[in-house]
Amino acid sequence: MKRSIAAVLGAVTALSLTLTGCGSGDDEGGADGKTTLTLAGWSLATTPEFKVLADGFHAANPDLTVELKEYDPKNYDTQMIADLAAGKAPDVYVQKTLKNFYTYQNGKQLLDVSDVASGLGSTTNGLSAYQVEGKTYAIPYRQDSWVIYYNRALFDQAKVKYPDASWTWDDYAAAGKQLTTGLKAAGSKALGIYEHTWQSTLQGFALAQTPGADLNSGNFGYLKPYYTRAVDLQKAGAQVGLGDATTNNLTYQAQFGKQQAAMMTMGTWYIATLLSQQKSGDADKFEWGIAPAPQLDKSTTGLSATPVTFADPTGMGINPKINKDKIDTAKKFLAYVGSADAAKALAGIGITPANTDAAADTIFAIPGVPTDAVSKFAFTKHDTKPENPVGKYTAPLQNILNDLHTGVLSGTTDIDTAIAQAQDKAKNEVLNK
Amino acid sequence: MTTVSPAPSRRGRVTARNTLLGWSFLLPNFVGFAVLTMVPVVLLFYYAFTTWDIFGGAEWSGLDNARQMMHDSSFWTAVKNTVYYTVFHIPLTLVASLGLAVLLNKRLRAVAFFRTVAFFPYIASIVAVAQVWNMLFSPGYGPVNAILRAVGVDNPPGWTTSADWSMPAVILVGTWREMGYFMLIFLAGLQTVPGELYEAARVDGANAWQRLRAVTLPCLRPTTFFVVVMLTINSFKVLDLILVMTNGGPGQSTLVLAQYVYRKGFEENQFGYASAVSVVLFLLCFLVTMVQFVVNRRREA
Repeated sequence: MKRSIAAVLGAVTALSLTLTGCGSGDDEGGADGKTTLTLAGWSLATTPEFKVLADGFHAANPDLTVELKEYDPKNYDTQMIADLAAGKAPDVYVQKTLKNFYTYQNGKQLLDVSDVASGLGSTTNGLSAYQVEGKTYAIPYRQDSWVIYYNRALFDQAKVKYPDASWTWDDYAAAGKQLTTGLKAAGSKALGIYEHTWQSTLQGFALAQTPGADLNSGNFGYLKPYYTRAVDLQKAGAQVGLGDATTNNLTYQAQFGKQQAAMMTMGTWYIATLLSQQKSGDADKFEWGIAPAPQLDKSTTGLSATPVTFADPTGMGINPKINKDKIDTAKKFLAYVGSADAAKALAGIGITPANTDAAADTIFAIPGVPTDAVSKFAFTKHDTKPENPVGKYTAPLQNILNDLHTGVLSGTTDIDTAIAQAQDKAKNEVLNK
Repeated sequence: MTTVSPAPSRRGRVTARNTLLGWSFLLPNFVGFAVLTMVPVVLLFYYAFTTWDIFGGAEWSGLDNARQMMHDSSFWTAVKNTVYYTVFHIPLTLVASLGLAVLLNKRLRAVAFFRTVAFFPYIASIVAVAQVWNMLFSPGYGPVNAILRAVGVDNPPGWTTSADWSMPAVILVGTWREMGYFMLIFLAGLQTVPGELYEAARVDGANAWQRLRAVTLPCLRPTTFFVVVMLTINSFKVLDLILVMTNGGPGQSTLVLAQYVYRKGFEENQFGYASAVSVVLFLLCFLVTMVQFVVNRRREA
């Protein structure tokens, strides 16, 4: 009898300990010169980039190993913040979105890695996004940028000329309308343009390309021409309306891959997806190409200019709670991550590394990737500005602007009213609170 | 633990052991509740008066968060939308579920089948339900508008893509989803209505409507009270449906308080302010429920 009570109490104690989450810490660097770093990643089965980097680093430094720790992609930042606060986060962790970089940096959750950054060449894109007051807090390993994807077959069918590097947004809109009428005449149901539902499809370009545009200023007048054009394209039927896209859960992969639209703007990450979907049959097999993103005006068009586009880099930083003996190893790993070798390895799996120059040959050697001059130009040459400039107010301001995006594109609010409302909110709720 | 002291009376030992056993059975639940529910709730009230962005400590800022709320037009929009949802969702669901319960309380053929069908929305996955409804409501291609056009409505509403109609659309789906559950509760309540009362009413010549008003409704008062309280709380804290159907849009037309808390906390990392907003949400629920209790007690007296 007594034994049973003791058993119950024992079980209860064990249970309550599990409930309060009393796990004990583990792992230490080995004393025999072998060191193991831990690195955060997400969806390891379908996101091979972390393993490629870990394996590449281990191959170059046989006594150094990188172990991966998996996180949930949708709740990555929430889980990482919780782990950092609890002191259980990996030694090196990824800045999945630039929007949250400020939270980590300002919360003193990143070591200064300026020495690693100064050792990297100037060909590494996206480094400046991680610099605060002259110090660097993360090293970018991939830097996508937004380009136009176009379907050659549909362009031929509609008898419209392929995009060269000379397009402004007005050219893009005009081509979209021409394509739509041309395709309809040819008996196709495809539209000229597909714009995905994200606010970045318009706001990212507007912020990057308009001179003097500044998210943190709280003045959003620079959005107007971009929205006026998009609303006009929706009305003309040259692109699917936002409401139809959201209520029917349209995916950009199916819209472009299944030839529902002749062109769309999208980040370079889609190259790898499109290749694999064409192979697996999730996308139709057709000839496609990429071209530089449309520009605000003629000053940045043409093969001799540098087109302005946007996209956030993805970088890695070091957890300040890392074991002191491992800091040098972690920095060595970051230096590898930003190196030309890592860039080639990443390009081999279809990822756009931060160092695009080093990777261009690898990417264009992959069968199925368009190799014409414009596509090569679009992939390698661009001035890519961040979608989410680092700052205290970026996250709340982007939320306000997302309300503007859905309000205007659903036809609920006209662009002038929406901008005025967004500016009021920015002023009262974010900037002057 | 083991017996060192001279053994007390046998009955005392048995009582002590039984008490200990009882407590040990309750303990897992108590510990879980205390650690996972009580502590966070108490902490929440503290955080509501701090600025806390997860890293670094929560700094006491007194009533700053409350002051910020006063000037926060998004917060007020969220309050208005929450009240809008509640004011329509409660009576609609109440009437729909009561109507269904009265209908399905009869001895019909295949009554079990219809009851199951009415209960089905409640157990279906909310994400799937929202996706399907979104497609039904799709302004250009959706069947809802196709039917409306067929019966002669020239300009059918844009539903979830229009600021004026998004809230009605969400309310409709909310009602459709919850009516089955409350129907079940009403059905249980209806079993307690004595049959003699109906017989007596019939003898007095009361028609069906009069029987419903004079017999059914008064006998269902305790059930109705429970349903109204549950509906109130459910409506104030509506989140999942909004999140998957409209995500607060278009614009801010369906932004509700619970979603605003989520946005401020988990998207913008302002946990102090998010806590303050959730305290307001709690107070709102609490006040309305208290009023309902007082009114109910007065009626009973």
